[in-house]
Amino acid sequence: MKKALPWIGLLARLGLGGVLLYAGYLKAFTPDKSMMAVRAYEILPIWLANIVGIVLPWLEMGAGLLLILGIAVRYVSIFGSGLMIAFIIAIAQAWARGLSIDCGCFGDGGAVDPNETKYLETILRDIGFAFLGFWLIRYPVTKFALEKNNSLQQKPTPGE
Amino acid sequence: MSSKTPKGPDNVTRNLVIGMVALVVAVGAIFSVISNRENTSAVLPSSVSQDDGYGIVFNGDLTGVPVIDIWEDFQCPVCARFEQTNGDYIEKLIEEKKAKVVYHTLSFLGPESVLAANAAACSSDENKFLGFHKAFYQNLPAENSGAVTSDFLVSLGQGLGITSDKFKSCVANLDYQGWVNNVAASGGEQNVNSTPTVFINGKEIRRATSSADLGEYFDPAAFIRAVEGK
Repeated sequence: MKKALPWIGLLARLGLGGVLLYAGYLKAFTPDKSMMAVRAYEILPIWLANIVGIVLPWLEMGAGLLLILGIAVRYVSIFGSGLMIAFIIAIAQAWARGLSIDCGCFGDGGAVDPNETKYLETILRDIGFAFLGFWLIRYPVTKFALEKNNSLQQKPTPGE
Repeated sequence: MSSKTPKGPDNVTRNLVIGMVALVVAVGAIFSVISNRENTSAVLPSSVSQDDGYGIVFNGDLTGVPVIDIWEDFQCPVCARFEQTNGDYIEKLIEEKKAKVVYHTLSFLGPESVLAANAAACSSDENKFLGFHKAFYQNLPAENSGAVTSDFLVSLGQGLGITSDKFKSCVANLDYQGWVNNVAASGGEQNVNSTPTVFINGKEIRRATSSADLGEYFDPAAFIRAVEGK
């Protein structure tokens, strides 16, 4: 089992990192759409939603890249899981309030027909990705990571 | 990192990669924020009013009539449907001076929406916006299929009798690209999250709630009632 852990970690890294990089890439170059998607959640004030719509795809790409390369895996995974939890909360509140929006996870986004919403699927998918992040927070040492720092294995250090 | 972290080549690589990724993220995000801001020095088409969200305005001088704001994207099929449903009625309102109508041409669906919105602004300088608007939707190509080119847009204009070289160069050189961007920024400020979005006197008309109910968007009689305030 101990031997399998770094391999599972590799898959988790590529899974979470791949989805972040891909989702970020799809949105980063269509900022109008991405801003629209964030506004449609009706959580943030409009000006802030517009900034998040522009900046978030770039952060996703950066985090995805670091995970795929295997650098600062634990810290990036904390960010990635936190992001997934934020998405789950945002989608759940949209669902609860009866908004009809697309999650805008992979581009698209904004208001859609009430019969085209996919809240449950999206939440389940994001829970899956959040767990990949949890795994990497617990077992950050993985195969083929660029960062081969042994100090990671001692983490969490006392007092952290 | 903890102070026990050994220093070595591995750490250098790590910090270098983190630095590079952070730089790319920061530059990309900042560049994107800046290029999406309203540019107050952008060249505006003659019929555009900055106070009306950079929309193309008809009957801007009228008072005491309904104000219809139409937010659309030229590549949006549902916008084409809205045009088919209510376009003639809206044109009649404009001709008979019974409403102030403001067209906001968004471009979130992609680069071909930018080309189309720019060309529509060029046509408005020739007083052919409404004709261009209708002709484009009648010939709506598949989204971002590469069919919307300068040549396509110029020939649409020629079909409406726009033959000036100024129109051609306006379309080909994207003279109003800055304005297109400003319309998009304005749509963001107005919280327009889908197209078409139509406001009458500042209030959004009622959307369809089921396939049996067309709402005020796609039931022509309901739209007329909404305009007339009934």
